[in-house]
Amino acid sequence: MKRGGLQGYIIKRLIYAALITFGVVTITFILLRVGPSSPADKYLANMSARTQDPAQVIAAVEARYGLDKPIYEQYVDYVVNLARGDWGWSFSTSLPVIKLIQRHWVYSFQLILLSMLFSASLGILIGVYSAIKQYTKTDYLATFFSFIGISIPNFWLGIMLILVFSVQLGWFKTYYDTGLPLFSLANLKALILPVITLGTGMMAGYTRYARSATLDNLRKDFVRTARAKGLPERVVIGKHVFRNAILPIITIIMFDLSGVVFGGAYLTEIIFGIPGLGRISFNAIFAGDYPVVVTITLIGALVVLFTNLATDIVYTWLDPRIRYD
Amino acid sequence: MIKQISSKVGGLKNLIFIGTLLVLVLVLLLDIYLVDQILEPLEYFYLFFAIAAIFYGIYPLYANRRLTKYYWERIKRHRLSVFGLAFIVFLIAVALIGPLLTQDPTEVNFQEKNLPPVGLTIQQSVYDLKAEEFVTQETPGTWQHPLGTDDKGRDMLAMLVSGARVSLQVGLLATLIAILIGTIMGVVSAYLGGWVDMALMRFTDVMMTFPFFLLLVFIIFIFGPSLAFIILAIGLTGWTGTARLVRSDALSLRTREFIMASKSLGASDTRIVLRHLVPNVISSVIVIATLSIPGVILAEAALSFIGLGDPTVTSWGVVLNAGQRSLDTAWWVAVEPGIMLFLTVLAFNFLGDGIRDAFDPRSQL
Repeated sequence: MKRGGLQGYIIKRLIYAALITFGVVTITFILLRVGPSSPADKYLANMSARTQDPAQVIAAVEARYGLDKPIYEQYVDYVVNLARGDWGWSFSTSLPVIKLIQRHWVYSFQLILLSMLFSASLGILIGVYSAIKQYTKTDYLATFFSFIGISIPNFWLGIMLILVFSVQLGWFKTYYDTGLPLFSLANLKALILPVITLGTGMMAGYTRYARSATLDNLRKDFVRTARAKGLPERVVIGKHVFRNAILPIITIIMFDLSGVVFGGAYLTEIIFGIPGLGRISFNAIFAGDYPVVVTITLIGALVVLFTNLATDIVYTWLDPRIRYD
Repeated sequence: MIKQISSKVGGLKNLIFIGTLLVLVLVLLLDIYLVDQILEPLEYFYLFFAIAAIFYGIYPLYANRRLTKYYWERIKRHRLSVFGLAFIVFLIAVALIGPLLTQDPTEVNFQEKNLPPVGLTIQQSVYDLKAEEFVTQETPGTWQHPLGTDDKGRDMLAMLVSGARVSLQVGLLATLIAILIGTIMGVVSAYLGGWVDMALMRFTDVMMTFPFFLLLVFIIFIFGPSLAFIILAIGLTGWTGTARLVRSDALSLRTREFIMASKSLGASDTRIVLRHLVPNVISSVIVIATLSIPGVILAEAALSFIGLGDPTVTSWGVVLNAGQRSLDTAWWVAVEPGIMLFLTVLAFNFLGDGIRDAFDPRSQL
């Protein structure tokens, strides 16, 4: 592959990512303006006990949010402010939104990272093993449990875990303890139930993908060749099968972020009271705190966009067979 | 005249379908603007769903009995999917007939709160008015509330039946909306190509970038929660996968001989799309629809679980939410709706797998 081809490809992908970002921002703007309620309504509901004249409040809030300007100016303001990192003021917590995010992102990050590590490692291991032992009892058991894992609603699983391990057995607290230092064993223990809650569905999915990807590769000619020339089974599976099977699984794990992981993390944080971005957005919704909800939705979309971009670029390095024209 | 128009839209059946829909829309508009809403907006959704199901589900199955039998034979070999189908039929029956037989799911009765399911007895601390103190009392489950009651004394069975109704409504209708939009997007994009294709697919990419649940929460936050709107919101955000799949299917069909042939015979674009492209992508659309119903049901349950659902309906998510609050006093309130949700999702997953294998001519059963 030509070096220039790769650079061109990366540049093309970056321009594309910028375009998509622009689209994402525009859609949130349109939704906000089309919606029947404005930030002023929510403000009014919060202020009604204190203020005298609702009309004045509305005018003040609209001026504060720039809603009295023509629509295109509002749009330009919206885009420019987002780009400058000025994400607005969260009135329910009396903090700039960016401060709020800085304070809380790490809780979501640790939950998602640990869940992905847990589900990917265990899922791939079980999937590959069950493919090697195809049509044995272990294989059927793994398939059966992966079906259950995929179908179990993760928020219900979380509640059941709390019921059994916290309420009945008393091994864990029913709520996540926010006072713990991040890098401590106690914090890790507090995260066990949330990680199982979020990770089980993902793990079941990866088990299925890993199994089918391994089975696909086990039937390939190069595997038969490797066996025929007398390589030990450990090397055949580890080098020839596993390395080929792992690539599509990585794509799926990265792609999962947008669907399963963020939705699951949102719910898991609410169930266990983990003060991550999902929980913050949840609180902001009931307080009518617009800027927080908008920002967290945008952050979700951007994280998805950039992980996809990163996956594509890392792929060029992981799999030299792929050509980019 | 009729013949001309019907050949334009790809057959008399499509013409009658479009006509029926127009009548429905007309009645809807009359209902909204002239008469004082005889039917709820949601009920128009049902009529729409029923009409679409008759024209594109039941009628073709009846017209091609031999093919129907063939598919049924193939699905039957997938034993789990038959169980799935049986459970779904049972659930539909419960949702249709159940509300007539059970009591009002919103009826509160604090005298009978936290009753366990029948056959179970729990220790409950009750305030004794005579002794003026809390006493521990044995509370057995009664046949009057076979699945117990929650912390407000609402009947669990009635709430689960109501929840089945809501879940099926949302699952079926939202999926229908999503696959309709997805199919139209995909077919138009593939058939017209060029800048239309580019624009539609970039729009799909943008929609796909949003995490599904975050976007849903965002939309509900802005537009407010009502069941009709939740269905619409899930439908309007969940079409992207279908659009991509239909587009790639239609792209490979576009260059096939039978399409070329009808084009050279002078068929119009609408006729080719409606008569040749759509019927040929329908099997993949059915598969993706069945497999996306569980996700939709879970999304609604999750929304109502966190309190963003329609406050006027009792859905499984609402019951689950009440259950989490009383885990230490009445565990069954959280367990029962979850089991229903789990079984429903499992049933649709099994059925979807069976249908996928049955419709895929390459799979050997």
